[in-house]
Amino acid sequence: MKKLIAILLVLTMVLAGCGQANDGTDDSSSISDNTENTEVKAGSTVDLKLFIAQPRFREIYENYIDQFAAEYEEKTGVKVTYSLEMPSADTAPEILKTRLSTKDDLDVFMFHAINEKAQYYKAGYLEDLSSEPWVADLYESAKQAVTYEEKVVGLPLESLTWGMLYNKDLFNELGLEPALTLSELKSNSEKIRAAGKTPFLAAYNEAWIPQLFLPLTVGAYANTSHPDFIEKMNADKSSFEEISEMFNVIDYVHENANSNGLEIGGTDGCAEFALGDYGMWVQGPWFSATILEANPDFNLGVAPLPVNEDPEASMINASVSTTLGVCSYSENKEVAKALVAYFLNPDTSTEFFTACQFNPISQIHTFDTYPWIAEAIAYMEEGKSYLDPSIPQAVKDESGKALQGYYSDTASADDVIMALDEAWAIFNEVNQ
Amino acid sequence: MDKNKKRKEIRLLLLFLLPALIFYSIFMIIPVITGLSYSFTNWNGVNPNFEFVGLDNFVKALTDDKNFLASIKFTLKYVLAMVVLTNILGLLLAIFIDARTKTSNLFRTAFFLPNMISFIIGAYIWQFIFRKVMTELAQNKFLGFLEQPWLGNPNFSFWAIVMMSLWTSVGYIMVIYIAAIQGVPTEYKEAARVDGANKIQIFFKVTLPMIMHAVSINLFLTLNNSFKAFDQIYGLTGGGPGRTTQVMSLNIYEEAFSSFFRYGYANAKAIILFLFVLVITLIQLRLTRSKEVKA
Repeated sequence: MKKLIAILLVLTMVLAGCGQANDGTDDSSSISDNTENTEVKAGSTVDLKLFIAQPRFREIYENYIDQFAAEYEEKTGVKVTYSLEMPSADTAPEILKTRLSTKDDLDVFMFHAINEKAQYYKAGYLEDLSSEPWVADLYESAKQAVTYEEKVVGLPLESLTWGMLYNKDLFNELGLEPALTLSELKSNSEKIRAAGKTPFLAAYNEAWIPQLFLPLTVGAYANTSHPDFIEKMNADKSSFEEISEMFNVIDYVHENANSNGLEIGGTDGCAEFALGDYGMWVQGPWFSATILEANPDFNLGVAPLPVNEDPEASMINASVSTTLGVCSYSENKEVAKALVAYFLNPDTSTEFFTACQFNPISQIHTFDTYPWIAEAIAYMEEGKSYLDPSIPQAVKDESGKALQGYYSDTASADDVIMALDEAWAIFNEVNQ
Repeated sequence: MDKNKKRKEIRLLLLFLLPALIFYSIFMIIPVITGLSYSFTNWNGVNPNFEFVGLDNFVKALTDDKNFLASIKFTLKYVLAMVVLTNILGLLLAIFIDARTKTSNLFRTAFFLPNMISFIIGAYIWQFIFRKVMTELAQNKFLGFLEQPWLGNPNFSFWAIVMMSLWTSVGYIMVIYIAAIQGVPTEYKEAARVDGANKIQIFFKVTLPMIMHAVSINLFLTLNNSFKAFDQIYGLTGGGPGRTTQVMSLNIYEEAFSSFFRYGYANAKAIILFLFVLVITLIQLRLTRSKEVKA
């Protein structure tokens, strides 16, 4: 028995050593060099493997890609067939990483621009799309969101403009305007409280909701008083202690919200908010459909979240989440790029974007947006917006959990700051 | 002649076992071995370049990782509660059902039924119960104590998880105990009764020693299952609020797949969990094996 264990241990050490020896010689550039770009000749058939994690839009995607295949065949004589993998969003990253690390056949895949572009680019899996025709017409914020190290690495699909939500009817009734400084926010809250309603909704059961404070506060500070905060954090030269002022707004919201926040999840929160007893909710308009389902007459507004007395720091967070990238080791790059470009085809893109209820991201889009999105865009046009800061996903997850601990009194503000610093340090270590 | 026969027998046995062995090795043994090899590296799950770091991951997990150590503590707390409560409740229910004559089948089915529901479904059912049903029930003045922050407060969420796990797992343990109790020859119990022993004395001096093998099996099962607990906690609280109800397996899952993507490091922690369970179960088996009494 002992001999068997010893043999097994030696075997695994050897396996690990062998594995390292092989992979140590590869470097990221060789992944793309190894693929031969097969010449696409008329009359041939190309089969594309697509990985798009939005199962709720399956039919829309399938119809659109069929449309592309028909048009492409007409134009070039090449028949395009495809297989579309559509896992749900929470398991998609793991599945995608498995496929990429085993070099499974993959041509086009979907990833989260802000959170994941750095990781996938550094691992060498994203093809440079800077010279594609659709890049020129992208809105500046969308283009910035999908650019990494000066290269455009994906086509943006879902864009978000958010800060916090507010009950427009209640604000109109009480004659309130969305606040641009912390003291204005406090006076708004007092008036809401005087009218018998709760100023803020707290729905902290799901960790990603308290996490929303992180991009909002870091974004505000990184674009005003602490311009190189993110670079310094990426170089292990700073600490969240520098922006510990963010606890001012976090504490104020917590003190002026319902006390059972940890029991309420996202969808429950939507139902509560739609009932009209709350003035504001630190949340994004992605929940608009759910809120309107609970109360179709609800008047939703989007406003920036002030963090201090500087009105310049109250801005809308502009982000891009779902993005399409071309796999760098794909053997059908020409067709894959054509497919990706088709999503911003001037004649058909508007139809696709409206069917999925995505916001416009390019000059070619001419459709009307929802009133709350229009409100957010109005802020952006005044220059009051910033690109969602590139905070590592690990730090975002950690902030959600740390704030939950803070709200349940098991962690202090210092604990939260320490946890965030540590999470960022680990991320730097793991992803040099 | 005998040796050849034996070898032939063994070969035949192996042949019959081969299909199951193949499945077992592909889906269990090989992943464990590759997991073991990854645990000696610093792979981050996506980058094809990674390095061999030896035992660094193991050392870091046991000395530097506050969250992992906290999850070990929480897991031990959970295991203790589960092992003790499941076995005592299971045994009590088994005695209760064994004493019935006409309704034993009904009660046995009723108590075993929750075991048919997978842990994760049970977790979602109980999440609904703790969130909505408890508040409704607490409107009744006698049940006011039910109005607690079941899932929001770390102290209460521990007991919420234990309650839910008990509901699901007691049935299985109870069935094993019933079988064992029914295997105790009635002559011994009658002899004891004739000698003037009361019911409690009969139970502790006659029945219990004779079902020691079932106790050993059940202790092993409950220890094993509660150490590996994942579904019920993931479904009920997700480790929250914060990380206060995070067990080891949830910590490893988070490490590998959702937070830091330190795949190699997470594998090292998984190996540590495996060794934990191995050592504790070996100790437990040895202790209870010595107490078993053959009929």
